Amino acid sequence: MTNPVKIVWRKELKDAIRDKRSVMAAMSYAFFGPLLMAVAFYVMISQLTDPSDVEIDIKGAEHAPALIEHLNSNGIVQREKAWAAGQQPITLEISEKWAEDLAIAMPAQVTLTADFSATKQRGDIRRIERAIESYAKQIAYIRLQMRGLDPRVVRPIDMVRHDTATKGSRAAILMGSVLIFILLSVFFSGMNVAIDISAGERERNSLELLLSQPLNAHQLVLGKALAASSFAIFGGVLSVILIPIIFRFLPLHNIGISLSLDWTMMVLIVLMLVPLALFATSLQLFVSFRAKSFKEAQTYISFLLMLPMLAVFGVEFARLKNPVLYYLPLTGQHQALLDIIKGESLQWLPMGISALATLLVSWLLIRFIGRMLASEKVVFGL
Amino acid sequence: MIEVKELHKQFGKVTALDGLSFSAPEGQITGLLGPNGAGKTTCLRTIYGLLKPDSGQAFIDGIDAGQQPLEARRNIGIFPDKFGLYERLTAREQVAYFAALHGLEGEAGDQATEAALQRLDMLEIADRRATGFSQGQRMKVALAQAIVHRPKHLILDEPSRGLDVMSTRILRELLRELRAQGTSILFSSHVMQEVAALCDQVVVVAKGKVAAQGTTQELCELTGESALEEAFVKIIGTDEGIAA
Repeated sequence: MTNPVKIVWRKELKDAIRDKRSVMAAMSYAFFGPLLMAVAFYVMISQLTDPSDVEIDIKGAEHAPALIEHLNSNGIVQREKAWAAGQQPITLEISEKWAEDLAIAMPAQVTLTADFSATKQRGDIRRIERAIESYAKQIAYIRLQMRGLDPRVVRPIDMVRHDTATKGSRAAILMGSVLIFILLSVFFSGMNVAIDISAGERERNSLELLLSQPLNAHQLVLGKALAASSFAIFGGVLSVILIPIIFRFLPLHNIGISLSLDWTMMVLIVLMLVPLALFATSLQLFVSFRAKSFKEAQTYISFLLMLPMLAVFGVEFARLKNPVLYYLPLTGQHQALLDIIKGESLQWLPMGISALATLLVSWLLIRFIGRMLASEKVVFGL
Repeated sequence: MIEVKELHKQFGKVTALDGLSFSAPEGQITGLLGPNGAGKTTCLRTIYGLLKPDSGQAFIDGIDAGQQPLEARRNIGIFPDKFGLYERLTAREQVAYFAALHGLEGEAGDQATEAALQRLDMLEIADRRATGFSQGQRMKVALAQAIVHRPKHLILDEPSRGLDVMSTRILRELLRELRAQGTSILFSSHVMQEVAALCDQVVVVAKGKVAAQGTTQELCELTGESALEEAFVKIIGTDEGIAA
């Protein structure tokens, strides 16, 4: 005789696949999540690497044609259009005594007028400042050389910037948010199925009859949990496959980031998601078996979704670095995913332990729900 | 044979079962008649092994439902008072699911399912999804689920509630046929006409215990009344919660 767990699993899966709402829920999250992320990244990257000219008002350009030429070659040009409403004008004013001051080696004056607190214009202002500094440096070097001095005497320190951030680790900052999507996909994708097979079963009055069949309550729960987990894993796999594809269309190399997930890494991520999917669905079943209707279960579960978000965002923003995190359910998978994305060496033992811990907690939850369903209070609300 | 011995069950301060004892022998339809709240459903749930009695036992062919609920459940078919169907499964799939839960799978499962569907004359709707089924069609699916594994015991909880005339006829016909095949049928109801029309033996339950037991005629003789309704009222001492 086939294990009742398998019978329940097969039936629930068939039932769920025919439920368009459940399938759409599983797919749409996996699909739209990364897509939304990609759009946000795209906007961010194009702002960071804006190559267009900075157009500003330049007054007194006729006094210093050489400076203007230098500015133009650095992409800073005279503005032809009017400033948009709400945008503070940036004005560079060159003093009329410019040529005179230069000739007698006195500081020539330029005035930069702008709103220095405007975040959007910060990059532009920085570019103007840098262009003028470099022009000043050129003149200083020429003056020193003319007086027979080595220009290096005014450069006592040579600071070499040595950036140790690997391309991978810089990506990690950005990818941290993507990871959250992968982890949460497991929680979102199986949610609808989990509600339907627990609170939904109760709502359509079939739970009592099902419990009166010759199978144990925990076999029933395990079969149901596996069906919902199958959906959760499906959503997880979908997002793991889609994220690299969608990110291939982003000009990530412009900001010095490379994201390459080869297929072994993808398989590894999926393997890590499997125990997490079971954990997610058993938590959801635990909550929604207690609810009397679909609606009620949805309310509870939306609170439950805060849990993984809090865990992941909390660790991310509080910059928690505790080795325990590697061993716990949820945070363990999160840490391992971070390591994978950063291209760091993987810690197999903690990964294994956290997978086992996740499975164990899920198993305990399933047993507990089984006990709960054997209780008169929960089933009949006595 | 279904046997219930000295069942006691207390929910908080409410006594649901107070020493209930009766038996439903093979080849007979036993009616469990009682007003709402008499303890009928609690009694049936104890027989399914869903509720643990405070004391007393329920036996299905000698198997204690409290000790070996799975074994006991293998031998009974249940027609619940509220039958929810899986709207996205076809009638055949629903029946096959219950066959599988009773260990009938593959070819045996297909055959049992086909036989049950045929028996209830529902081959035409067998491969339609349950969405849009009429009340009568839904009842047929629930009945097919209950008899697909050819149980030796059939338990019906308030079966004719909300059924139309045709459905009730089909149900009665099936029960008489199963009785002829030697099935023990236990039938809970608060509708007197139904019990009078079908049952070989009536167990009147009130306040968690048996108030009287016998054939319709015996109950009438016992109380000196000519109609079951009058006899019933006399036995339980009130006419509250009974439908004529």
